[in-house]
Amino acid sequence: MKMQPRSRNVFFTDMWALALLAPMILVPILTTNQYYYSLANQALIGLVAALSVYIMLRMDLLSFAVPAFMAIGGYAAAIAAKGGNTNLLLLMALSFAAPALVALPLGALVLRLKGVYFVLVTFVFNEILQLALFETPKLSGGSNGISGVPSVTLLGMDLGTNQGVVYVTLLVAFVATLITLAVTHRYRPEFASIEENETLAESLGLATWRYRTFGFVVAAGVAGLAGFALVNMLMTAHPSSFSSFSGINYIAYAIVGGRGTMLGPVVGTGLLVWSSNLFSSKGEYSAGLFGLLIIVVVTAAPSGLVGTIHQFFKAIRRRLSVSADLPTNSDAATSQPIKGGGP
Amino acid sequence: MNSLSKYGFRSALLTSLLAALPAWAQNCETKIGVLGPLSGGAAAWGLAMKGGVEFAAAQSNEAGGVQIGNRKCKVTVLNYDTKYTADGAAAGANFLAGENVKLIIGPVGSPEATGVKPVANRNGQLTFNSSFAKDAIGTQFPNAFHQLAGPSAWSPALVKAAKERFKITSVVVVAPNDQGGTDVASVNADSYKAQAIKTTEEYYQRGTTNFAPIVTRIMNLKPDAVDTASSPPGDAGTMVKQLLEAGFTGIIGRLGGPGTPEIIKAAGGVEKIKGFYWLELVATEDPAVKSMLVDYQKVMKVPAPDNTLLYTAAAATRMVLKAITAAGTDADATKVAAALRGLPAEDPYLGKGVWAGKASFGLAQELVFPVGMGLVADGKHLGVSRLDLSGTK
Amino acid sequence: MESFVSTGVIGLSLGTQYALLSLGFTLIFGILGVINFSHGGFYVLGGYVAYSFSHLAGVPFAIAVLLAALACAVLGYFVELLLVERHVNDHLTTMMITLGLYLIMTTGTLVVFGPEPAEFPFPVSGSFRAGGFFVPYSNLIVLGVCMLVIAVVYLLMYKTRFGIALRAMADDREVAIAQGLRPAQMFPMAFALATGLAGLTGALVTPILALEPHVGESVLAKSFMVVILGGLGSIGGATIAAFIVGIVEAYSSVYLGGSKGALTLFILVLAILVVRPNGLMGSEARKA
Repeated sequence: MKMQPRSRNVFFTDMWALALLAPMILVPILTTNQYYYSLANQALIGLVAALSVYIMLRMDLLSFAVPAFMAIGGYAAAIAAKGGNTNLLLLMALSFAAPALVALPLGALVLRLKGVYFVLVTFVFNEILQLALFETPKLSGGSNGISGVPSVTLLGMDLGTNQGVVYVTLLVAFVATLITLAVTHRYRPEFASIEENETLAESLGLATWRYRTFGFVVAAGVAGLAGFALVNMLMTAHPSSFSSFSGINYIAYAIVGGRGTMLGPVVGTGLLVWSSNLFSSKGEYSAGLFGLLIIVVVTAAPSGLVGTIHQFFKAIRRRLSVSADLPTNSDAATSQPIKGGGP
Repeated sequence: MNSLSKYGFRSALLTSLLAALPAWAQNCETKIGVLGPLSGGAAAWGLAMKGGVEFAAAQSNEAGGVQIGNRKCKVTVLNYDTKYTADGAAAGANFLAGENVKLIIGPVGSPEATGVKPVANRNGQLTFNSSFAKDAIGTQFPNAFHQLAGPSAWSPALVKAAKERFKITSVVVVAPNDQGGTDVASVNADSYKAQAIKTTEEYYQRGTTNFAPIVTRIMNLKPDAVDTASSPPGDAGTMVKQLLEAGFTGIIGRLGGPGTPEIIKAAGGVEKIKGFYWLELVATEDPAVKSMLVDYQKVMKVPAPDNTLLYTAAAATRMVLKAITAAGTDADATKVAAALRGLPAEDPYLGKGVWAGKASFGLAQELVFPVGMGLVADGKHLGVSRLDLSGTK
Repeated sequence: MESFVSTGVIGLSLGTQYALLSLGFTLIFGILGVINFSHGGFYVLGGYVAYSFSHLAGVPFAIAVLLAALACAVLGYFVELLLVERHVNDHLTTMMITLGLYLIMTTGTLVVFGPEPAEFPFPVSGSFRAGGFFVPYSNLIVLGVCMLVIAVVYLLMYKTRFGIALRAMADDREVAIAQGLRPAQMFPMAFALATGLAGLTGALVTPILALEPHVGESVLAKSFMVVILGGLGSIGGATIAAFIVGIVEAYSSVYLGGSKGALTLFILVLAILVVRPNGLMGSEARKA
């Protein structure tokens, strides 16, 4: 099948994403610098959110609703924790399930919208959620949010120390990455056919709505996990953590890094989180510097950093094989027009 | 830190060289951090706070620096743009922790204060925020200080004065629907109700630029006064402009922070305003206070930011620098905090103040200097009178 | 009852402003397929350019507005030519580029003009009052300009060769190219037209409201909503949708309050899109 060499490539690259997470375990061991912990936490949380965007992009859908699902997951965990249930695994499950449950009926409503209409609806949904938080002060603390969220525990251990928080965030990132890997590879052919030509896929008998809904629900759950990690890091569930602008940031992480493989969000998040922290210390220039960086990276590497590196290697390989005067299998299978995405 | 050698001529020469050239001889540096929004809608506040801290630091450096032990150290200011979010403030505190900054002036707004306090607590950092939140500081955060009097301190006094002056019987309090808005508006509403004034709270969607619908809604309630509370200056200006366009003939209030020049400008000048009462964070017409603007221009070579958070941030910085000297260290926030608490609340420009907050927050770590109450009546600017809040507990 | 009528009048004023705002956005969106995140940035820039000419250089207001529109058009032309053109087929990349541009523009205005609102009043004050409701003259002028601009854009798009060419490009680029049209020449012009309109709107509307570096933030969301509601690529649809949004916002804000009013508006938009997935007057949805 024409898909296979490419999907093997993608799987290989995706495994790199998992592999890059592993060394993060060393961060709390090798240093006590709070700034590095903060960067690690921010990058891991950003990664999980970017993965939620990535899952949707695999179906050629752009979702601005990631912060909204993060809020649902985060607030659910906060309310449960304040109610006395601080078990880490329980909270993780809850923060995945709550937004996933909301995504189910929401998906039924909005997933038949195509392209940009879908994008707008997700944007509007985010605004609606912010307003809902404001209008329900008894449940959500309103504009003040829920502060003093107790730290999570596991098997009697309190994970509220600085190191503990990093480990919890790392676990969440790991689980989210595994989920994303599972979903995007188990259903790779289905998602890819929806991404390439949905009408054709439907005419071939694919119940696209089922897979789209599944992807949407899983993406919402993954976002919920990110929300939980964020609330845990801040010990607060605050509306300002789930603004539309943060949604734009997560999309940037996925696109700047490369939207064809899971490694893209990893690279994009790492670069943009680190530089955002750096630029924020430059006074009133912080936003402009960040914007400049985005423009520079995106124009230099339109298929994302990972995508561009892939193309670079491919070009080298092609040059080497051309010099050997033989067309190779990989050439035939992978020489497709660049759609502006993909490895 | 090593102490200078005590022996003979060489040390005397060295000391006189050091005294003569403070700039390059500073071998010790004290870092103060500033947290606040430096971009976006709240940038005016954040930049004013940054200006205040940098000014106080520059003045200190002109006098040789801050005294720690028997050395004078150069004061350096590091800043971080918190973007008015809880996670931004937390990231900022962690960034500063990575730079070994234990003493932070800021953050500015309520979401930021909420986000920073637990993190600063974990990092062992002192913070000095200016938020108007009901829980701006608290006993669970012993190293968190409050830079200015909260609404519970000035709202009752100002409301009472406004009622006496303008005979208000009904009021609409307008604010954006976020924590910065609700914190102040709700306290103001309580103060109005305590004065038996019929009160309605109206919250508008953050990001609104055209207030015509809100104005219509307010006009339908036919209030005697409209209090713009802590709405951002641009929003408040537009609202007042549109209120006057709609034929509002009542009193305008602004109990909630800087922004009155915009309202006066938007109304088209003082002559067009029937009645206006507002809070100034400091007694802006005190000659001593005004002289700070002159000194700012002299020291920083640029005009001061037009936002009264400048004064409170500078005063907080000066107090922290004094506390560093008293504690003999800038690396231990708890020691500096203890010294800070013991210092009298005094400032060369703002005069004598008090440490308040025991009643509202449970610990007396709110730096309260006299504030100002501004009045315009029948088109005439009656000036900003000093309001002494030293009775605040 | 008075209030009902005044609210309706306010809704129409709001609709006018949103229509002006969305025209530029729908042009770029409909023709290039680009979601222009910097739309709000050109709005603010237009305001500040007009302010600079009018208050710092003493130029009459109307001229300052035109100069602002021109400046934004020129800037937009070069932005498209240098940054967007190469990636115009990749909507996500162009979205990121325009986002970066927005951040730079907003920081630039903050650094140059400061965070406080600029003193930029509308030259005409006072209101037209009749039978219990009122309309500020400024709003009437903006309404007039809006009608004029919509008419001009309509004529441009439907009666001139340039406009027909642009629409052909929007409908089916390959065929249009086969017919000899050159996107590389036309797209920068289309972008310039759109940004010029945004700048014009900013120069006109910010004196009525407020001119600060961050007032562009909500512009994008509103324009986006109006354009989608009206249906992609439809100028008439965008205009109608603008008035619908304005009127709904006015009534819901006046009778339900600012916060609940916004919630109502958003839920309504959501509901409309669920019932009519291609917008009110749109035909075929473009892939994102």
